[in-house]
Order: sequence, then C-alpha cells, then structure tokens
Amino acid sequence: MEVQKLTTDVVVIGGGGAACRAAIEVAENGLDCIMVDKGRPGRSGATPCALWSIQAPFGPRGRDERDTPEQFFADMVNGGHFIGDQNIVEIVAFNACDRILDLERYGVHFKKYDDGRFFQTPMPGQTYPRSCFMFENGQHMSTVLAKEVSRHKNIKVMKDFFAYWLLKSKDAVVGIVGIDMINGRIVVVNAKNTILATGGYTSLWGFSDNPPTLTGDGIPMAFRVGADIVDLEFNQYYGTDVIWPPSVRGTVVLYELMIDEFADGEIRDKYGVPIIKKPLPIRDEAIKTIFNVIKEGRGTEHGGVLFDITKSPKGVEVARDVFKEMTPKHYQFLIDAAGLDLAKTPLEVAPASHYQCGGIYINEKGESTVKGLYSCGEAAGNFQGANRIAGTALTDTQTMGAQAGGCAAKDAKKKDLIPVDQKDLDLALDVIKEIVANKTKKINPAVVKQEILETMDKYIAPFRDEKGMNKGLSIIEDLKEELPKIYAPADINKYNLDLTEAIETKMMIESAELTFGSALFRKESRGHHNRTDYPEEDNKNWRCHTVVSNKNGKPEYSKRAVIYTRMKPED
Amino acid sequence: MAKEKIKAKILRFDPDKDKQPYFQDYDIDVNGPVSISELLALIRRNIDSTLAFRTYKCYKGSCQTCVVRYNGKVVKACATQIMPNSEITLEPAAGGKVVRDLVVDFAAM
Repeated sequence: MEVQKLTTDVVVIGGGGAACRAAIEVAENGLDCIMVDKGRPGRSGATPCALWSIQAPFGPRGRDERDTPEQFFADMVNGGHFIGDQNIVEIVAFNACDRILDLERYGVHFKKYDDGRFFQTPMPGQTYPRSCFMFENGQHMSTVLAKEVSRHKNIKVMKDFFAYWLLKSKDAVVGIVGIDMINGRIVVVNAKNTILATGGYTSLWGFSDNPPTLTGDGIPMAFRVGADIVDLEFNQYYGTDVIWPPSVRGTVVLYELMIDEFADGEIRDKYGVPIIKKPLPIRDEAIKTIFNVIKEGRGTEHGGVLFDITKSPKGVEVARDVFKEMTPKHYQFLIDAAGLDLAKTPLEVAPASHYQCGGIYINEKGESTVKGLYSCGEAAGNFQGANRIAGTALTDTQTMGAQAGGCAAKDAKKKDLIPVDQKDLDLALDVIKEIVANKTKKINPAVVKQEILETMDKYIAPFRDEKGMNKGLSIIEDLKEELPKIYAPADINKYNLDLTEAIETKMMIESAELTFGSALFRKESRGHHNRTDYPEEDNKNWRCHTVVSNKNGKPEYSKRAVIYTRMKPED
Repeated sequence: MAKEKIKAKILRFDPDKDKQPYFQDYDIDVNGPVSISELLALIRRNIDSTLAFRTYKCYKGSCQTCVVRYNGKVVKACATQIMPNSEITLEPAAGGKVVRDLVVDFAAM
C-alpha cells in the first residue's frame, strides 16, 4: 500500500469554525500547519448550519451596558447545571468579545446600531441580550473563516481528506493517517502537535438537525490513543426541528424567535393550544415540555407539535419577515426543498439531536490527557456542562479554537518532531486492508449506519432508562460483531465513499458504545440526560463529570470532580 | 411500499478506468417527492453503492458543494425537489475537474 508522508508543526483535523480558527492561530504564531477536512473547508461540519447567534458580553459596546464577562460566565455555569469546568468557561467568557472582533476583521458582517454598537438579541439563559447578529448566519461566518485560512501561506489545506487515525509513538500523539479522497492516496501527516476539531457526534442519531456527516470521528480516534472522554450522556436536543416532509427533515426553526420582540408566534399541540410559556424556558426544559405533549398523544400526524406564526398578533407578514431577515437561508430552504412557507402553514416540529455537550476531556489550553493531542470546538467536552445555552457554540469555536491553536503552536516551538512508529502505522493500514479484502459475505456500510441511527433514536433519546439502554447497547454490540463483513471495493481509488463510510461506521459504533456506557453510568437526571429510573438531579453524588478511560482497549467509567474557579455551588 | 418511480440518467466517469463519461440509467422507488440529495442516497443504499456524489456537506441549502447539473441547469441537490414519475438527467456541475461521477474538485471552494 503506497503511503504519502508529510510533516508539519501542527495538524488540524476539521474544517468548521473551530478548526479554521485554530489553524489561523497556529499560522499567526509563525508555524506551519496542515488542515484536513472530509468535505470542503467552510462548507462542511456544523458551522454552516448555524444561525445568527454568537454570544459575547459587549456591555456598553453592545445592547445592554450592564452585561459583563462575569455575567456571561455565570450564565454558562448555571445553564450547564454546574458541571462545566470553569477554567475553560473563563476562556470562553472573557475572550468572546476579542474573538468576535477578530471575526469582524476577517470580514464577517455583524448587525450594528447606528452609533456602532453591536446589535444583540435576547436568548433564553442570557441575563442580558447577548447574541450578536451575523447576517447570512453560520455559512457566512464559516466561508469568511475558510477564506482567512487561505490567506495564510503557512497553512496547507487538504480538502476531501478523510482522517481516521491518530498516530501514537510511545506515549505521545505524533500526527494522523487519512485518505486523500481526490486521488485515493493514503497520507500520513507527522506533526509535533495534533488538534482534533472534528465536531460533534449528533448524527449518531437519525433525527438530527446537523449534517449526517457529524459522526463524531474524533471520539473513537482519541479514545484509541488513551485520551479521556467526558460527559457523553449529555447530547443536547433542540426542541423545534422540522419533522416532515423528509426532504427538509431536521431543519432547525428557532423557538427563540417566538417572543414578542420577534415573530410573537406559538408552539401548539395538535388542538392548537399553546404549550411553551413565555418568557421562554432554556433548551433542556423546552424539549421536556414538547416530548411530554407528544407522549400524551397531543402530537401531530408525524409525531411533532406545531410551529405556528400564522396567527401572530403582529400580523403574519411581519412575523414572516423576522424569519426571512434573521434566518434567510433556512427560510428559503424550506420553500425550495419542500414548498413549505411558514407564513402559510404551521410547521410540524419535534426535538432533534443538536449538540454534543461532552467530548474529549481538555484543560484550559485545549490539551487532552495525552501528550501532543489537543481538541477544541464541539469535539471537546467538559465546559458546556449538562446543557448548552443558546449562542455559545459559535463563541466556543472562536475562543477555544484560538486558544488550542495558540497553545499547541507555543508548545510545538519547544519540541522536536517525534517520528512515526511503523507498527502503529501498520495497524492503521490494516483497517483499510480488512475492509477491501475479498470476503464471502459482504455488508453495505450504509445499511449498518441506518441501524445505528435507529438504535440511538429509540433507546437513548433524552428520556432513557437502564432497561432500554441495555437493549440498545446489545444491538450496538451485535452490530460490532458484523463489522468484519463490511466491504468496500478495492478497485476504486477516487472518492471511494464505500471505504470512508465503512471506516465511519466502525467509528460510529465505538462512539455509540461509549455514549450508552456513559448514560448507563450516570444514575441521576441533569440537563439533557433524563433517566426515568432516576428522575431527580442528585447534587450530592453526581455534580461531577463522567469520564471514560481506555483500559487496555476497554472503556472504564469513573467520576471526576468539576473544576470551580469563580463560582461554587451554593448548597 | 413504494408505488412510484423516478427514472434517473446519471453521467458516470472514473478517470482511472473509463476513457469517456457514460450515462447510466437508474429506476428508483420513491414514496412521494424527494430532493436530489435523497434520490442519490436511495441509489447508493438500495441499488448501486459505487455511485459517487458529495456527502460531506450541509444538507440545508447553504454550503453549495452539492450542486449538480439537473436537466441541464445547475441546482443545489439538497434544495431541489423531484416529483414521482419524472425522468431526469444528472451531470456534474462545472467549476473544476471531475473527481468521479458527480463529484467535482471545485476550484472556488
């Protein structure tokens, strides 16, 4: 098997907001960087699907002069049910304004008041209105970031590059292995530091508002090399995603826009009765209400509730213009792909998988528990806690992206490149050899993927119990047994989707296993983890992280104390 | 289950094997209208998994990387609906070298 070998100072896996920001910071520290993305940078991952909202406590430079980084910090800690590590929350809260000014410098257009202050919208969980408003939403932000990346000569971007393996030499990560899908070549990137910005695992679930490619590849890659993984039981659902028809299934329509400042609409049951009270609840509470309404039989034909602006007291034209102006691409997508105009008919919506709060365990520098490996963005865990409040995901990509990029670069300056361990590289190549080997019984990876999605939807939705999760886990374990039969043709070099999907499926199974394990381990309910067999929040025993460690290849679950810096729980 | 069909003629080309691009015909069972993205996924899952098209994309009408030439016109695959019982032609969009089938290495993105 022919292998192309490249070397660099820092390699970044991913092409979304966090990956781009990390790469820029590495380059601005004067080092060389290779950034690899399984799609096209700025156009893959979750960032292009994000809406306008990026939180920063601009205070007098924004909408409400009372707002401060301290207040942002407190809102994140409270919203996360006190299990976000505060050393990291501090980085997010106290650097948010500077990073947004960076975005503006790169070319992102923010809505401003006439006197130059940032226009900011209120969102549930924010003490003061704090969401800065990006015209053209997340797609605009991510393409601007990708452009900024391309301006740096010391960043080499590899597009359509499927990374699947972290290389380890002794106790350190020394780079990655991936497939250059444009020519089918296997590529090794040997680097002083590696940054995982692979995004979340939200599309392990079938009903998700993220692209189906958000399979959380970083988790099994990091777990294999011994990095601790944290809080995987807190997969955030978003309350109001379109559930019907299939061509627009999983399109997010924001319940936050139902307040009277905006559309003044209602979320209703099938009888037309409003179900979400105003002021609006934060996300974990909103989804519980919607789930319960559906469970009580008050849901619509396709298992949702109604997202209705047609009877807005402001008039339907005014209400529609709110969506047209604030979420223009999503508004148009519903019309183009399904002929759905939310001004004419209420949408059928239901809670869908939205954001991974947990992930790779990091410290305030973005370092994982393994030497040479960093993580940022949604792939990283332990600071959003049990629930993420609106508008912090994009803020996190920029603050922790820059932080991880900067710290990885500074550390790389102090050390030499450790060569690749051939034995470990051989293991990586074996993964491909096994998939393309001729076999008597062949399984199409797309079929296994479908079963994983259905299993997650059924057994590990926000409401879960031990019996159901054990059943779900046993299905995943059975699928794992089938993995050797997964097949991809050996004679296709270019864009061999069967091959990348086969590897992805393997990684999805591993992520699913760790997610079930984490959710079975935590015997309480908190944030987005609702155990019907343990319905209470148990601060005495469970105000802590769930950590999965790799013990000789097997997951071992344990508790780890939360790091408090500025705010201790009061009880 | 599926009572309706869509007939798709898709331009295929693997530069490693084929001298010329050629059209392949697919008959796809559907339940009601589907987007081009869904149609391609149905082919891959149920008929022919070797068909190449971009999957690492947004699926929400934003990223533009799923553009294809549909009956001669460039459209976003995720945001274009195809009605049952129609016959369609799909070809790669311009803007770069064809990697394989409908996948283009776009120069601008």
